[in-house]
Amino acid sequence: MYLTGSIGSVQGALALVEATRLWREYHLGGEVVEALRGIDLTIEQGDFVALLGRSGSGKSTLLNLLGGLDRPSRGSIRVGGIELAEMNKRELSLYRRTMVGFIFQSFNLVTSLRAWENVALPLVFQGIGRFERKKRAHELLERVGLGKRAAHVPSEMSGGEQQRVAIARALVNDPRMLLCDEPTGNLDTSTSDQIMQMLLENHKSGATLVMVTHDPALAEQHAQRTLRMADGQFLSEVPA
Amino acid sequence: MKGILGLALEGLLRKKGRNLLTMSGVLIGVFALTMIVSLGEGLSHAITDTVSGSDNLRQIGLTGGFGIELTNDPTNVEIPGEMEEERRERLKRAAVNRRQIRQVAGRRLNEIDDTTIEKLSKLEHVESITPVVIERYEITTGEFHDPAKLTFGVDVSRERYKPRIIAGSYFSAPDAKEVVLHEYLLYKWGLLNDSDYEQVLGKEITLKNIVNGNDDPMQSAPPQLQQFAASLDEEEKKAMQVLLPKLMEQMGVLTQARKDVEATYTIVGVLREAEPGDTFNVIEDGNSVQADVFLPQETAKALFLSSAVNVELGYPRALVLVDDPENAPAVEQKLRDMGYTAFSVASVLKQVETMLTVITVIIAFLTGIALIVSTLGIVNTMITSVLERTREIGIYKAVGATNGQVMSIFLTESAMIGLIGGLLGLGIALLLMLPGDVIASSMIAEKAAIPYKGNVFVVPAWLAVAGPTMGAVTAVLAAIVPARRAARIDPVKALRHD
Repeated sequence: MYLTGSIGSVQGALALVEATRLWREYHLGGEVVEALRGIDLTIEQGDFVALLGRSGSGKSTLLNLLGGLDRPSRGSIRVGGIELAEMNKRELSLYRRTMVGFIFQSFNLVTSLRAWENVALPLVFQGIGRFERKKRAHELLERVGLGKRAAHVPSEMSGGEQQRVAIARALVNDPRMLLCDEPTGNLDTSTSDQIMQMLLENHKSGATLVMVTHDPALAEQHAQRTLRMADGQFLSEVPA
Repeated sequence: MKGILGLALEGLLRKKGRNLLTMSGVLIGVFALTMIVSLGEGLSHAITDTVSGSDNLRQIGLTGGFGIELTNDPTNVEIPGEMEEERRERLKRAAVNRRQIRQVAGRRLNEIDDTTIEKLSKLEHVESITPVVIERYEITTGEFHDPAKLTFGVDVSRERYKPRIIAGSYFSAPDAKEVVLHEYLLYKWGLLNDSDYEQVLGKEITLKNIVNGNDDPMQSAPPQLQQFAASLDEEEKKAMQVLLPKLMEQMGVLTQARKDVEATYTIVGVLREAEPGDTFNVIEDGNSVQADVFLPQETAKALFLSSAVNVELGYPRALVLVDDPENAPAVEQKLRDMGYTAFSVASVLKQVETMLTVITVIIAFLTGIALIVSTLGIVNTMITSVLERTREIGIYKAVGATNGQVMSIFLTESAMIGLIGGLLGLGIALLLMLPGDVIASSMIAEKAAIPYKGNVFVVPAWLAVAGPTMGAVTAVLAAIVPARRAARIDPVKALRHD
């Protein structure tokens, strides 16, 4: 059953993510769709892992499980020693709030909020006061080079700028892990490079990155580890 | 929490038009509710203010009674005998009906005369009992004459009418041979100018009792005699008219022959009509409102009692003053138990207020339907809002919002719709009350005999708080289902949503 299941790096004592026999099934109409089929995965602190595969291969499902947006049907997924499979919805919310930062292909900014308000959004749900929120949002916008665009709404920004706002938002709560779902999928080549550089800088300064992509070149160029996926399982691992 | 408030406010401002429309539903509901309740409150205040001054709540109006307790309740009647229940019920009703008829037709058993007043004055908590002396007399002064004017005895020592003297002077003593005339009587007599009052002041005035044109002794005969007399021929009737008074006197039916009453007094003053701000005394002023000739109480009593019929029948009513408003109901009940007809101003007031409250509550309830309809609008708006913002909700959740936090964003948003709508409704109601008061006051001035100066719309503090609160609370209740729907949205699906 688990022919190619266990492909992990050498397990260190302090693996950030440890997933074992992870299953995720969906019920669509009367049919059961197996999006993940018993995969095992270990991610070390500071890794940059690329998940490569076609659409429907299960890479986004895996990313959602890592991010606590979804729960596995079976199996175990521990992040920082905490079992996500056993968490209730509220605990998962708290996990997302403190442990992970998401970066999406379509940016997913709130269109009616200004740049700094989008960046500060995670802090709202942590109950942090407006003054502190504004201060931290501005710091992060400076870091992504948008210090002067803080008061603009997303519709007044280019795609690249919007994604930089999204990166700032993902970083604002100091997450243990950045989860990127095709972060450059909607951007032209030069902007893509900019965004990738920004992500790499974060990686170099210690961030753990998991990036979903269908672009092998992108994966091979930047990631430390590339996990190829098909039909809900890993095909092979290509170390950098 | 501050941040969630900001997100809710931001959501509210995003669809200004739609939210304003939704808000206007709450606005209309709270507006109407505030107007209705404050009108009820104002009317209740108007009644209480008018009546609570001037000893009103210590007063009991006393009239003669039948000496038996009136009952309209057939269950109190006992019908013995073996019979069908249907027949028993019928007989009970018949007994009640006949008793009522007998009471209406019969002579009063308990009259209000000086003896009864003395007796009743000794009751516990009774401070004083004053007969209300009103009677019609034929009056003549100089060239002026009137065949039937109402006179009223004034309790001189209480000085209630003293501020209303606009010319001449007030009574010098409770038994002074003086009268005060109402300004309207003088006006009717043609004394149009202010200086004309001098023409009557200090003049003598004669009061004479009104005797029916046909002074037929048969009028006061018992019904049996009247029936008998009706069967007689003309000759016999003439004889009867001579014999009957003597016969009746012998039988003790008519104790004293009728005789003319006449007295002459001095006109000392002119009394003006009551004005807003004058104290209003329900029982006293209710009787005096049509009087034109005012006499000191003792003088009026002496004149009243100089008629044999009046001595026999007693005073039409009396004013009982109790020591404390709290004891009024007990004394009222005691007088009723003794067979008199008594009503305390306090108990009548209570009935009127209860009625007013019931009416207000019913109308307020109907108005509340407007508020219920507005909640449907809120439900609709919030469901639409949740659908439109599915992706946004996904984002909130991805960055760590709990279900509770998502729910509270929408509940807060709806609460603001309700609160702002409610506050606007209250504000508009308060604004419209200013002209409303003027209009309503003039309407009351046209219809009511009692002048009233206060506000017709009264907004008590609780209403000012309750209106907007109710708006907010109904809005929150209306948003519970949509907000829960928002909270349960699956973030994975929501983030894929367009």
